[in-house]
Amino acid sequence: MNDIQSIVIVGAGQAGAMAAAALRGLGYGGRLTLVGDEAHPPYERPPLSKQALQAETPQPAAVHPASYYAEQGIELLTGTPARELDLAERTVQLGDGRRLRYDRCLLATGGRARELPALPRGMPGVHYVRTLDDALALRGALARDARVAVIGGGFLGLEIASTARDLGAAVSVLETAPRVLERALPQPLSDWLAARVRQAGIDLRLGCRVREISPGTPHAIALQDGTALQAELAVVAIGLTPHVALAQAAGLAIDGNGGIRVDAHARTSDPYVYAAGDCASQPRDGLDGPMRFESWQNANEQARTAAAAMLGQAPGAQPVPWFWTDQYGCNIQMLGLPRPGLHYVCRGQSGDGQPKLLWLGLHDGVPRHGIAVNAGGDLRQLRVLFERGLALDPDRFSDETQPLKALVKACQAAAAS
Amino acid sequence: MTWTKIATTGQLEDDETMPVTVGQTQLALYRSEGEYFASDNVCTHAYALLSDGYLEDGCIECPLHQARFDIRTGKAMCAPATQDIRIYPVKVEGEDILVKLQD
Repeated sequence: MNDIQSIVIVGAGQAGAMAAAALRGLGYGGRLTLVGDEAHPPYERPPLSKQALQAETPQPAAVHPASYYAEQGIELLTGTPARELDLAERTVQLGDGRRLRYDRCLLATGGRARELPALPRGMPGVHYVRTLDDALALRGALARDARVAVIGGGFLGLEIASTARDLGAAVSVLETAPRVLERALPQPLSDWLAARVRQAGIDLRLGCRVREISPGTPHAIALQDGTALQAELAVVAIGLTPHVALAQAAGLAIDGNGGIRVDAHARTSDPYVYAAGDCASQPRDGLDGPMRFESWQNANEQARTAAAAMLGQAPGAQPVPWFWTDQYGCNIQMLGLPRPGLHYVCRGQSGDGQPKLLWLGLHDGVPRHGIAVNAGGDLRQLRVLFERGLALDPDRFSDETQPLKALVKACQAAAAS
Repeated sequence: MTWTKIATTGQLEDDETMPVTVGQTQLALYRSEGEYFASDNVCTHAYALLSDGYLEDGCIECPLHQARFDIRTGKAMCAPATQDIRIYPVKVEGEDILVKLQD
């Protein structure tokens, strides 16, 4: 560790802030600089589509308390974009003209909301939600009874629609896929969620293609099925483009999915540069190709992996991917990843009130993909089966009179015998 | 405030939790390695009941976003929680489990 005296982290989001903490936690005592282009100290992004739009006085959810950076000797440079990465000189050129030398550099540059050309960022009545400032701008615009067209029915779009509806807006969601969260949920759950979205009073349009948008007050949106709608506010949530310009210009390898290529230790194609979070593309256990994960958990875990690797320590085991979304009064969690050929089994009842559901996608009896609706604690109990690849009895799983704890113990005992 | 009986020892196994209400206060009662502990039941991060969470190795993990708290000290062990959870003294008399809310 002694040969490392300066570490520069580019990107002061979840991954950057967690990496800084992990480095200090692992005993790194050298110079540590965290550079971010946003004006705010690192904050959590999950609340941006929920509490940040709703709270009377929204407080950003800080990743670390404000005093943390000074206490830990972390030089936090906010409002400071990085302009250039020089691999030969091992320097990062900052927007304010400074040039920082590094022994190790972590790129945690995240990404930006993908733009819809017809509704560019900055146009009046058009919103994108990626940053705290984005969320605060939308919050200011979300008046009661406003008509809101959310373009994109993915996790972010559905969450924003849910919050806007709670605030009394008249909300439409336009999604090109034939069902909601098509890649993340099996058909019955997708249908259940669509029904719940509609029950909330949202005009959810699936398999919906936009023909033409005439921006204005209101925006007029013509759809290919011949129908049209008007909305004072358009919120575009059609995905994320990773920020890789710095890496690309420096000559680092970029994967086909647009992310900075890293190995299992979060190392890029340069031995002194690492990448973590939304911008990083990493090979995963059980998947054919490398993958970019846009999730809170991945940002934290890759940050820890990169921090350990930068200090020459072996990373821990790759965690099972985990993701959550809060929408329409439900906490929905996902563990593992969907893949073709899974056989889904269900436990619980959807009912009308507060549903509690657990779905598992099995491959040869082994759970590979789990979805919990208001049953995160139950899904957590099953995580060991995912981690160790243990099969379970689908009939016992579906029988709600069988306690899960005993079921998991039986699976572990069967594997040990 | 005096000690209040909230449960009996037969009600919980190791690594199990249960919700308890004392007056206006919602508590989570835990058993870990034969010992009993209590904390506020609502997570300090978001509205969720820790008694629905996952208890392992002396830490309770919130069912909503997997924040973890040490049930002995209340310390927030990992993100997204940054604020510790309040804990309460617990004692066992015979088969009764008692909690003390305040001095």
